[in-house]
This record gives sequence, structure tokens and C-alpha cells, in this order.
Amino acid sequence: MNVEDIVRDALREQAAEQASAGPGFADRVLAARRRRRVRGLACAAAATAAVVGVAVAVPLLDFGKDDVRPADVVQRDEINAHTDQSPPRELVSVGDTVLAAYYIPRTVEHSAQRAERVRDYWLLDPKTETYEKATKWSYVAIAPGLKTAAVLERDLPVSRIGLLDLDTGKIRTWIQVDHEVAGLAFSRDGLKLVATTYDENPDQLVKMQGSESWDQKQPSSRTGFYVLDAVSGKGSWSEVKVDSDTDDPMGGGFLNARQDFSMSPDGRHVWAGNPMGDVGKQFYDLTGAEVAIPANQKYLEWYVDAWQSPSGRLVAGQFAGEKWKTSSWVLDARTGEKTEVHGQQLLAWVGDQSLIAWDIAADSKDEFRQRLVKVTIGSDKIVPLSGFLKGNDGAAGRWEPVFAER
Amino acid sequence: MDAEAQDRFREFVENRSSSLLKTAVLLTGGDRHAAEDLLQNALVKALNRWQRIDEPEAYVRQILYRQQISRWRLKWRRRELSVAELPEAAAGSDGVAAADLRLLTRGALTRLTARQRTVLVLRYFEDLPEADVARILGCSVGTVRSTTHRSLARLRAIAPELGALGPAAGESQPSRDFSPVEVRP
Repeated sequence: MNVEDIVRDALREQAAEQASAGPGFADRVLAARRRRRVRGLACAAAATAAVVGVAVAVPLLDFGKDDVRPADVVQRDEINAHTDQSPPRELVSVGDTVLAAYYIPRTVEHSAQRAERVRDYWLLDPKTETYEKATKWSYVAIAPGLKTAAVLERDLPVSRIGLLDLDTGKIRTWIQVDHEVAGLAFSRDGLKLVATTYDENPDQLVKMQGSESWDQKQPSSRTGFYVLDAVSGKGSWSEVKVDSDTDDPMGGGFLNARQDFSMSPDGRHVWAGNPMGDVGKQFYDLTGAEVAIPANQKYLEWYVDAWQSPSGRLVAGQFAGEKWKTSSWVLDARTGEKTEVHGQQLLAWVGDQSLIAWDIAADSKDEFRQRLVKVTIGSDKIVPLSGFLKGNDGAAGRWEPVFAER
Repeated sequence: MDAEAQDRFREFVENRSSSLLKTAVLLTGGDRHAAEDLLQNALVKALNRWQRIDEPEAYVRQILYRQQISRWRLKWRRRELSVAELPEAAAGSDGVAAADLRLLTRGALTRLTARQRTVLVLRYFEDLPEADVARILGCSVGTVRSTTHRSLARLRAIAPELGALGPAAGESQPSRDFSPVEVRP
């Protein structure tokens, strides 16, 4: 017997001792894949508009004025809920966190092999406090303050970005860009606008050979990002190449076709999810050079829309489901210590203690029949805010919220 | 991905996951939790190309090997240093029973680098010829040979009791290949 023999025997003995993977392993993999990719379409606009810092002075985006409000403005407790409306017709808000818009995604078939996932937006009219359909736009990001939206026209990607005055419904400025844009996100202070550039429409769908269902087109055509001054429109473009995956025998890394960039919660970096990466996200400086993930942002998940709490102390996390049938984790931004909070999917912070979430009714067995609710850390009180969504995930008629702080 | 493809995927995982998990456990040096993560990640990658893969098992195995070597290398290094102590050697190497030697070897394997351990798993668990190992890992045959040689030498250094055994065929000739042993950039 030599060393090779004993190594062979030791490996076989160890392998033989292993119990099987268990009956639910395939479902675990399918669920992991869903978590990593399906939120791509919905993520960017809602996530970026969702939080606005209150620990520092927050200049409101209001052209021509230097309108700065004190950061520690007391959170209003007022709740505007319409539990009989889905999608809502009238204002939904909790304190300063407002449902500023929503969109309904639908699939438009261009041919037997090609289709497009498009969004139809409804924007909050601040005068009537109702949601009005805005058919012209394929993508909308709402700036904190609710005075301005950045919009893209149909047929993505496009070569100009509109800055829409939400009071008048008119475009105040068009920003012309050299690299075509398909995604937008404001910084949490509303002063910067990050635009993600693509060579092709990231929302196009194709049919794989032998498949009857639509799938996103791979590989992603993402090319980089602009960081623009949200008032002047001035800024620069940075190229970010899509990584190739050296582990993948067929080459090429996996990035969602739409994998938009956003400004990090502290406004120092630009970041994006990287679903197949080791840590699931990548951070860049404003010139496009990749940087280490900041210590207090390492628990951020790009597909959990609420991101970091206004003070930066807490981070909204994934589904938990331990104490209650539907619940989520809230993590200490530095230590990762977890606290369970009600809510199936955390969408936006209301101060540092409460969040707006999707959740199902207590007696419901249908995981897709969700409504907007307010939940609070350390409390069992769940306040319904909207009517229930209908249909399954991806079905027609389901709406996606876009939050902003007023 | 349609329902039929999902069913095919479920069937594949049901039939093959136990075998794949055994390999993953060996690659991670016996860390079952890490092995499940490793396999899950490889299967998610396979899912993304499910309808274009002709031989899913070969595809998933290749991802397992490469993933373990390249991207997760630093992550696992910390785990490798934290594994349990080697079992106490018996009084004299001559008297060490085969079962003890296997146990010693398992302990020593956890202290190899991920790259070294992967090459040994491919050569001695999967019983693949050097040329196949080279193809799977995307390196030269010389690199496979020299890595095998160094890995066995390292096992001997960690567990001197193995030194009493006869030399391995792979050790009979010192490698003349001076190509870098790093498998992936």
C-alpha cells in the first residue's frame, strides 16, 4: 500500500459516510435562483427612492431654490391607507414615506421569438393626491421631496433623460447622453442621479430553444453608468465591463439582463447587485473603479428594496419566517446581528423603527396574495395600507410600488 | 424556464445530488455546510443554462471543481485553518492500523489548499487520468502532475506516519514541469 492508495481509501470512506442531500434540495436551488434574479426588473427605482437620510441635512431637489430642511425633522405619524384599493387610486403613505408611484409590468410580444417587459406607470399627483397614469415613460425614478422625477421615454435604451416637474407634469430639462440609458436612480439626498447604460434593451425577452416560456436575454448588455448632477445634468460616464465567469465551462458570468447601478446609501459609491458573485454585490468609486465593500454596507442586499435605515444603523434583510409564517430579518449594519420583524418583503423604511412591507393576511395560505403593510421592529402590530395583489407572481395586474420620502 | 424544464431539473437533482454532494464534501475538506453551499451555487449556475446543457452532471461537476479552486479559495482558507486537530498518531508508525491512517489522511487533507485537495479528489476519488484533470481545470498536464506530487508530499509532511508507506507512482519521478501551479488567474 502506498500514499496514493491510502488517499484513495480515505476519500472513498469519507464520501460513503455522507447522508443524501435531502428531498427539498432542488426546491432550495430553485428558490435561491429566484431570489437572485427575479427582482431585477422591480428593484432599482423603488430601492433608490425608498430611503432618505434624516441624520443629516437633506437638501430637497427643487430647481432654482436652495431649499434645505433640517434633517432631524420629526417623523410624522400620519397614515394614509386605502385597504379597499389595489392598485391604489388615492395617496398611500406612512409618515414621510410616500408611495410616490407604482407601475404595472406587462409583456408585449413583438414576434414568436421576441418580446419585451414594459412598465406602465401611475404617478402621484401632489395636488389631487391621486395616482395618474403616465403612458409616455418606460422608466421613472422619483427624487426625494416628490417634486421631480427622472424619466426615460419608450424603446429603451434611450439617449436622453427627462427631468419631470411633478407639480406641472412638464419636462423641465432634457439631459442628452452619448451612451444610451435604460435605468435611473437618485441618490438618497436627491442631488445625484445615477443612470445605467446598456447597448440593448435590458427588458427584452427571448425564447430559448426548446422552451415555451419567455426568458431574459443573456448575456447582459450593460456597459457602465453616468453619475449626473440632478440639477445641472452635468456628469461623466464610467465604463464597467461585465465580468466573465472563469468557473463557468461555457464562459461568461451571469448578470441579470437588467442589473442597474445605484448610489450607495451614504452617497460615496455606486453599487449594483452581482447575483452570482461571491458576495452578491459590487461597489465602485465615482470613476467606475471597483472598491472594497464599505464595512457598514456589507449586509446590503440589492434585491431587498428597503436597503439601509435612514440613520444607517440597520439594514433590511431577507425573508426570515422563524417566529412568524411571514417575517423578515433586520440586521445591525456593522455586526450583522439579526432581529426578526413582521413582513414578507421589506420595501421602504419609515424612520429607523418601522418599515413598509408586502405581507399576506394572517390566515392566508396564498404567498402571492400580498398587500402593503406598516410593520415596526419589536411590535406585533401590522397596519394594512392597501388592498391585496391578485394573481401569481408575474401575472397581469400585479403592481410594483415606488416609494420616496417627502 | 418552463414547467417541463423544472421537472427535469428536479429529477436530475433528486437522482444525482447525493453523488454530487459527496464530491462537494471532499472538495471542502469535510465541511458539509460549505459543501451544500458549493453544490447549491453550482446548481444555480447550471439552472441558468439548463436548456442548453447536454450533460448536466459533467457541467455541474466542472463548476464544482473550478469554483472551489478559484473564486472561493480565500474564503475557504479561513475554514481550512479552523478544522479540528489531527488525531493523535499511534505510538509508532509501524503499528498504525489502516483505519487510523485513513483518519490521519482525512485530517491532513483538510489542511491542503483547495487547489491541492481538488487535484487529489479528481485523481484519486474520481480516478481521472492526468489529461482529463488538466482539461477540467483548464491547466497543463504538467501542472496537474506537479500539483499532485506536491500535495502528496505535503500530506506526508503533515502526517509523518504516511512516510512509512511506499512511494506513490506519481512521486517516482520529480516533476520537470516548471509552469506555474496556479490553475486559474
